[in-house]
Amino acid sequence: MIRFPLWGMLLAALGPLSACAKSDAASKAVADSTLLSAREARLKLLLSNIDTIGPDQPIALWKLPDRLKEISGLALTADGRLLTHGDEHGTVFEIDYRRGEVVKSFTVGSPRVRGDFEAITIVRDSVLLLASDGVLYSFKEGADKSVVPFVKRDTGLGKQCEFEGMTFDSLTNMLLLACKHVRDKALKGNLVIFRLPMGPDRDGKEVPPSPLVIPFEQAIGSNDWTDLRPSDITIDPVTGNYVLVASIEKALLAITPTGEVVFSRPLPKDHDQAEGIAITRDHLLIISDEAKTGPARITLYRWP
Amino acid sequence: MGFFRHLIDVLTLGSDKPLRRLLAYYLILGAVVLALFYFVPSAGHLIKGDHIKTLTSNAQLLEDGLSGAKEKAADVPTESGLDLALTTVVVMLSTLALMLPVSWVFMSARRTRDADQGVVQTLIILPLVVAGIVLVVRTSLALAFSLGGIVAGLRFRTTMQDVRDIVYIFLGIGVGLAAGVQSLIVAAVLSIIFNFAILLIWRYDFGRNVLEPTATAQWAEPLSDLAQRDIDRAVPDRELVLALSPKKAAVLAKRFDRVSKILGPTQKKPRFNSVLAVTTEAVGEAQARIELVLDQLARRWRLDQVITTEGKPAALYYLVGVRKSVSRDRFLTAIRESAGNTILSAELELGDAASQEKQAAK
Repeated sequence: MIRFPLWGMLLAALGPLSACAKSDAASKAVADSTLLSAREARLKLLLSNIDTIGPDQPIALWKLPDRLKEISGLALTADGRLLTHGDEHGTVFEIDYRRGEVVKSFTVGSPRVRGDFEAITIVRDSVLLLASDGVLYSFKEGADKSVVPFVKRDTGLGKQCEFEGMTFDSLTNMLLLACKHVRDKALKGNLVIFRLPMGPDRDGKEVPPSPLVIPFEQAIGSNDWTDLRPSDITIDPVTGNYVLVASIEKALLAITPTGEVVFSRPLPKDHDQAEGIAITRDHLLIISDEAKTGPARITLYRWP
Repeated sequence: MGFFRHLIDVLTLGSDKPLRRLLAYYLILGAVVLALFYFVPSAGHLIKGDHIKTLTSNAQLLEDGLSGAKEKAADVPTESGLDLALTTVVVMLSTLALMLPVSWVFMSARRTRDADQGVVQTLIILPLVVAGIVLVVRTSLALAFSLGGIVAGLRFRTTMQDVRDIVYIFLGIGVGLAAGVQSLIVAAVLSIIFNFAILLIWRYDFGRNVLEPTATAQWAEPLSDLAQRDIDRAVPDRELVLALSPKKAAVLAKRFDRVSKILGPTQKKPRFNSVLAVTTEAVGEAQARIELVLDQLARRWRLDQVITTEGKPAALYYLVGVRKSVSRDRFLTAIRESAGNTILSAELELGDAASQEKQAAK
């Protein structure tokens, strides 16, 4: 006669019951997924009626976790994903700005590289981080929780400027480095953007970096700022204009690649410390703010 | 339990060695878990520790600054009563399965006289309670503080006899915590590593103080006092009359008679002046090799006792009359060289009763 011990029956009963049951983690994942889909649908709806939204009215505002309280630059990848980073450590985060989710994060260098990181950009298949002294850290984008090796390159421009913004102009194959504090006496009193070629010219010659200089009077225009210290720069994907944000002056300005000021105006309210800027192909202006009076955040506006 | 015992017997080929039996138990447990997760993959989150990842990971979902309050209500996952009950049952059964071998090891590795049944039962019950509490508290700070208050009120404090018992209790708390946060893999690894470490420590008598008082040191003085010829200094008979019963006196007399025969006639030097203690796992081979050396270096010798303990190396004790010309180091070196890998340790304890008597007579 076959005898079924008690524990055997218990295990046999547990099996099918467990199969029916959803786990705690699984139900949370389902709830999160539903919420994210709802957010995406809401953003789509808003974008479909974008004309009804004012330029200073936020479309979305995501409060960032503590590990991103010192969020700095923003960069959009070729496929439209948003990368950002902290101020002091070489950790890069991908944020789904449409749904409000930190998708992944990876570390640069092992041990994690430290520095005064101010900006991030994408150059073809590489990611570049810029330190305020003009040193570039180049690496490949990593998977979630991975560690990626990096290559360090000094632009040699640290003596002339303290940098806080960077973007890549794929049309001219140049990095645009925005000066926050101009150290070169000859350039003082101007808004300075250095153009750094990312390779030799057509003749194979190395091209030295050149500054784009815009006098403050032109850049400031009718605003009551006395100085202009840009904290990040990006390129409008439609017009090709350079768009800059300045956290101290709480300013937003656009200039053409030749240096003509398109506009300069105050940022929408509630930007404590705007440190990063990016513009998407589907007309969204993204501004990141470091934590100051509240948590760090990312705000989305219509553009232009 | 009978079926399990039979299965363990089959796997260990009927061996009584604790290490083998423990290994067999964990193998069976592993097989049961694998089978469970093969047929019920959804239970995988319990063993992989998905829950602890959720608890420890930074918030991935960002708070909406425009309509955060409305969203938060939707953010809370719903959990059915059945889910909760099944999770709790699995966690409790797993805790029990992981703590059973700990209690066996506790009972095996302690001397019977010291083993405290209360501790054994606590080892089973405490982790279950801890796991249950963690399941209730989860991430609620308010509940955690309440629990702190309740525990402070209960004053669950006790003095443990042995510091090792506290370690077992800590392990119980660790396993309970790990199971409570649904990270059974951590609980399992804790249980496995702890048990094997304890068994190995017990098996090799790790940490035994080589400088601990020897038998000679412990017994020489009182026995000398007892054997003093000088009446003033010796232990008076009346003290012995008070200390001994007729039965004990007879047993002692018999024992001293035997020792006296071993030592030899009173007029001569004692036949044996040292005790050689050897631990080995190959008794026969070690014995043959040791005795070759004894024949060469000892005036005379005799095997006094062979002690075998299940799961531990055997201990051989020789009474040896070491020649004056042979130093202790030379003697032990010769033993170790001859026995090689067949022995684990060799100690020679020298007695100096005869020389002390000689000096006293002078």
